[in-house]
Amino acid sequence: MTTFLTYTILGLVLGAVYFIAASGLVLTYNTSGIFNFAHGAQAMFGTFLYWQFTNVWGWPVWLALVIVVGVVGPAMGAALHAVIMRGLRGTAEVTKIIVTVAVLLGTVYLAQWAWNPDEAYTVDMFFGGGAKITVAGVVVRWHEIVCLAAAVAIAVGLRILFTRSRTGVVMRASVDDPDLVRLNGHDPERAAMLAWALGSTLAVLAGVLIVPISGGGLDANMLTLLVIDAFAAAMFGRLRSIPRTFAGAIVLGLAANYVLAYMPSAGTFAGNLRVSLPMILLFVVLVVLPQDRLRGAAVRTRERYRPPTVRSAAVWGAVLVAVVYLYSLLLSDGGVSTLALGMSFAIIALSLTVLTGYAGELNLAPLAFGAVATVVAFHFGVRGSGLAARLGVHGVLLGVLAAAVVGGLIALPALRLRGLYLALATMAFGVFLSNMVLRDTTQHELFGVTFTLFPGGSLVIPPPKLGPVDLRDGTTFLMTATVLFALIAIGLAALRAGGYGRRLAAMKDSPAATAMLGQNLVRLKLGVFMISAAIAGLGGILMSAATGTVAQENFTFTVSLSLLMLVVVAGIGYISGALFGGLMAGVGGAVLVGTFGDLALEHEGPAEIFTALSHLVMVLTALVGMGVGKNPSGVVHDIVEGYRAMRGAKPLLYGAAAFGAVLYVLAVTGVIGSWTFSLIALSVVMLLPVVGRMVLEEGRKRETPLELLGVDEPYTDDVRARLDQELGLPVTSVKGEVSATA
Amino acid sequence: MPLLETRGVTVRFGGNTAVDDVSLTVAEGQITGLIGPNGAGKTTMFNTITGLQKPASGQVLLDGADITKLPPAKRARRGMARTFQRLELFLSLSVRDNVRVAGDVRRSTGRRRRFDLEAETDRILERTGLTDIADQEVSDIPIGRARVVEVARALMTSPRVLLLDEPASGQTEQETEAFAEMLTGLAADGLAICLVEHDLPLVMGLCSMIHVLDYGALIASGTPAEIKESPEVIAAYIGTEEAA
Repeated sequence: MTTFLTYTILGLVLGAVYFIAASGLVLTYNTSGIFNFAHGAQAMFGTFLYWQFTNVWGWPVWLALVIVVGVVGPAMGAALHAVIMRGLRGTAEVTKIIVTVAVLLGTVYLAQWAWNPDEAYTVDMFFGGGAKITVAGVVVRWHEIVCLAAAVAIAVGLRILFTRSRTGVVMRASVDDPDLVRLNGHDPERAAMLAWALGSTLAVLAGVLIVPISGGGLDANMLTLLVIDAFAAAMFGRLRSIPRTFAGAIVLGLAANYVLAYMPSAGTFAGNLRVSLPMILLFVVLVVLPQDRLRGAAVRTRERYRPPTVRSAAVWGAVLVAVVYLYSLLLSDGGVSTLALGMSFAIIALSLTVLTGYAGELNLAPLAFGAVATVVAFHFGVRGSGLAARLGVHGVLLGVLAAAVVGGLIALPALRLRGLYLALATMAFGVFLSNMVLRDTTQHELFGVTFTLFPGGSLVIPPPKLGPVDLRDGTTFLMTATVLFALIAIGLAALRAGGYGRRLAAMKDSPAATAMLGQNLVRLKLGVFMISAAIAGLGGILMSAATGTVAQENFTFTVSLSLLMLVVVAGIGYISGALFGGLMAGVGGAVLVGTFGDLALEHEGPAEIFTALSHLVMVLTALVGMGVGKNPSGVVHDIVEGYRAMRGAKPLLYGAAAFGAVLYVLAVTGVIGSWTFSLIALSVVMLLPVVGRMVLEEGRKRETPLELLGVDEPYTDDVRARLDQELGLPVTSVKGEVSATA
Repeated sequence: MPLLETRGVTVRFGGNTAVDDVSLTVAEGQITGLIGPNGAGKTTMFNTITGLQKPASGQVLLDGADITKLPPAKRARRGMARTFQRLELFLSLSVRDNVRVAGDVRRSTGRRRRFDLEAETDRILERTGLTDIADQEVSDIPIGRARVVEVARALMTSPRVLLLDEPASGQTEQETEAFAEMLTGLAADGLAICLVEHDLPLVMGLCSMIHVLDYGALIASGTPAEIKESPEVIAAYIGTEEAA
């Protein structure tokens, strides 16, 4: 009985904190229509500050708490709204999600910069862990009482705010129709800013409360995910109802603790299950949610993409293969395998191009499907052992098939719902997979077969052997990955140009109108999601093989998110966007950070500057991601448009090509290093359209618009002649031309 | 027997009754008008007929079969097509592809799998007078013609019933004239057309049957001549003496 009571109280306390976190989420979603994926990251950042104030600067707890919850929280929320979120009105749901994901990543990078993740941080309970009372034989700490009291107070307060107060009504109205709110004499932006300030205050409070009751250890990634657990509670309230959110949070907290109390604790299963429980619940909620009304185009999105023709995709594919081959000649063995890893990521990125770019749906955990494919390929596809071990074609195919099937199963419950729910379902799956499956080192028996999913916590993936092509050799691996990328890219271009692609585009633009053409939307979404998951699976297998030994860390949610963000920044509608984004995610960040790290080792004086620069690179990429709201089409779009504008400037293009050839010869002969070559070549490719645009502008004679004639230039006879001509009057030219009015 | 029929359809939004016990019919080979002041429930009626809105009670019948529970896509496959008052064109596709995609869907669902998609698209573009702008981006064309693209897209599904939600608003006088002629031609070919429109002269000229909604209730049904004489309709449109 005492056990039951103890765990019940622990469950209530955990539930209370979940509620505090979830309520902030509900608040911002209801006021601005933005589901804040960065909620957990905000909690994490606030908690680290709290740690800094109390443990490093020695402030008293009450002061630190007042500053963090009373000042930092609201300021952070208000700033987020003012700088980023208010600019997102009228953008696509995908853009909104990506921007908050970028905020999440940026905050995590920033925290890891400020507080070295290799050190340990702990946050104590309020009044210390020893301050407790005993009720009916059960020990309750004062900290836990604070959690419960805070949750109840917030629940009551929010309920009153939303239903009884004018501010609350304005808040709720702001998301439905900001213009109407404005006409009624209220400022929707002020209401939204207030909501963001409150929401992020609640996040910070939840962070400070939850860390001590879940062990006291403070880790940027873990705390970010811990608060994400509150998403499930928010879903329970359908992102609207505060009472239902409260109920969901309490159920979640209790369930987590009962699992700990009553499940057999042998092996890692119970612990893993406890961690995964919120995600499982989130999934169940998704399954039972009623179907949404079909919507038309909610917004006239600003995204614009030019779909490539199959022919141009084929040409560019060939160019890519040739360029990569020539480039690989310059690289060391290490460089080649790094590039191969990047190419595998680019293939995973293609899965996002078809899903998000073509169909407008989101997958927040593409690497999870890569992990599924990898596990299946490892268990069914490895032939031979030791150095002779190879991954057979059948293993790769089985893995890809498994990824597609699992993808379909995961997506199915969410497909009836809005895009946000599919994003949440994939997130739940990604987190669930890294907690449950990829940490599963115990032996199972199923249908008389015993197996261990992750023996020893990691998998050694041998190089694939695709028919006669043995991928043991680095260059062969790289070229195979590149050819596969090109083939899939051509396939996607063909798909986009055909009837299937037109149907996807139609669904993305207006679901309601597409349904009225007789299209079963769920079937269409399911199909494209399975195609996407299969591509992610193939990329995942290659990624694992390129890495050699993979563990849970290789497939985490954070890695997935940064891949997604980089692809969106590069251009989600473009195949080249997938190439850039994938390469950046796979190797770009690592190469840059690694280079700065090496520099820091070599030059001891400015070492700190180089370390800071490497952190800055990470934070900057996230900053670019946050800017996606301003330029939703992506960077590649700008470059492509630049080159399109340069069609007329053939000499410049030929000149650049010749320059590149010379550079390459110099690099092959070893006159310049491969690094120098890469840097110069990349700069030329990026800068050429900018230079070209300037040259073209120069060459074009600007003609003053008619209505501005003579305004800031002398009124000459020529001007008068032009005016006459434009107006169709008899030309009173000095040269005596025949008038055109006859 | 009418091709499309609603029986006692009622739609509520919260405590607000948007459509109240409406029974109406749309016959084959005719243009049926559905008119009423703003907020009378015309678009809600369309949404209910096409399955985008669930009615609180009542039935929708197509060709005698109860389709009240069917999702929009299945109704479309049974021959129902519509246009939207708030344009719902596919902005990332060209005019031609907006029309062609309806054929793509038809192909993929296995209805009349074998037909020449290109020829059919060209024929519809020709018939609706869109050939000259077929290759333009749909976001670049004026709103009056964009409405015609919606009609062309709907026709590409080879419908039996066509529901048009204010297709003439935003059209120039010449465009409206050509449009009216096209609708007459389509009805002559056997299509059942239901027209929601504020341009009363157009409705009176085209329709052989008119239903009038006011505050969600059906206040009159009849030929244009009958509707013009109906005191309820005059009251709804011009107001009664007490109200004025």
